[in-house]
Amino acid sequence: MVCRTSGKDARIKVHELRTKTKTELLNQLKELKAELALLRVAKVTGGAPNKLSKIKVVRLSIAQVLTVISQKQKAALRDAYQKKKFLPLDLRPKKTRAIRRRLTKHQASLKTEREIKREKYFPQRKYAIKRFK
Amino acid sequence: MAPPAKATTKKPDPKARALKAAKAVKSGASTLKKKTKKIRTSVTFHRPKTLTKERNPKYPRISAPPRNKLDHYQILKYPLTTESAMKKIEDNNTLVFIVDLRADKKKIKAAVKKMYDIQAKKVNTLIRVRVYPNQTQRSLKAPQENGGYVCWGQIN
Repeated sequence: MVCRTSGKDARIKVHELRTKTKTELLNQLKELKAELALLRVAKVTGGAPNKLSKIKVVRLSIAQVLTVISQKQKAALRDAYQKKKFLPLDLRPKKTRAIRRRLTKHQASLKTEREIKREKYFPQRKYAIKRFK
Repeated sequence: MAPPAKATTKKPDPKARALKAAKAVKSGASTLKKKTKKIRTSVTFHRPKTLTKERNPKYPRISAPPRNKLDHYQILKYPLTTESAMKKIEDNNTLVFIVDLRADKKKIKAAVKKMYDIQAKKVNTLIRVRVYPNQTQRSLKAPQENGGYVCWGQIN
């Protein structure tokens, strides 16, 4: 059991954030930002040390909420584009520029009919030399 | 072979169309006449306007538009509580804020309205270069509507 401090959450748990909906997350984000604004004012006007130390915590929470929002958004977008032929560029695999320009595995493996036949009828043979006795 | 019917339900029979076309060519129908030479009334040649189509992408380049990074909370950072700022609060009915460098006066006005419910009459801005080069100091004047000030700190 976590014993809560007065007022706001003691600590944001990210796995709890992931269960929330987008609107809930956005609301939480707004609250956190408002809290941060108050803390910043307190910093300037000589606030109590417990308030000043809270700034770091709140900033981290804001970052966590934003991360969860963006991860959820990306996942939802990937679902939406699952069946489509063309993906937006940021949903395509990033890898490196050179790798993206290489032939795909399928393209590189294509052979002419001539070559296929040749391989079929004249495969590379392996011989072993038997001991002569 | 059915006679060439001009009814809309039946497609005109190819032979009849061919005959019709041949007749038109022979008689020099107006639709087939060679185009007369264009009269040019100006010495300069301007590029002729051709068809321009609207964009209709097969896929958006970015999957989702990026979020607004300059929201109200980002614009107004914190108020200034120096002696001179305090003086301004008392005497000139103004508030002094440190503000994001990318914000303009209109955005500041809107931000202050949203966050503190203050209708600013006028906003002045200046860029602080001396100590913090990535911050801006901007002051704003609020009309004294209900005779209420917002005071941010103690007077030192």
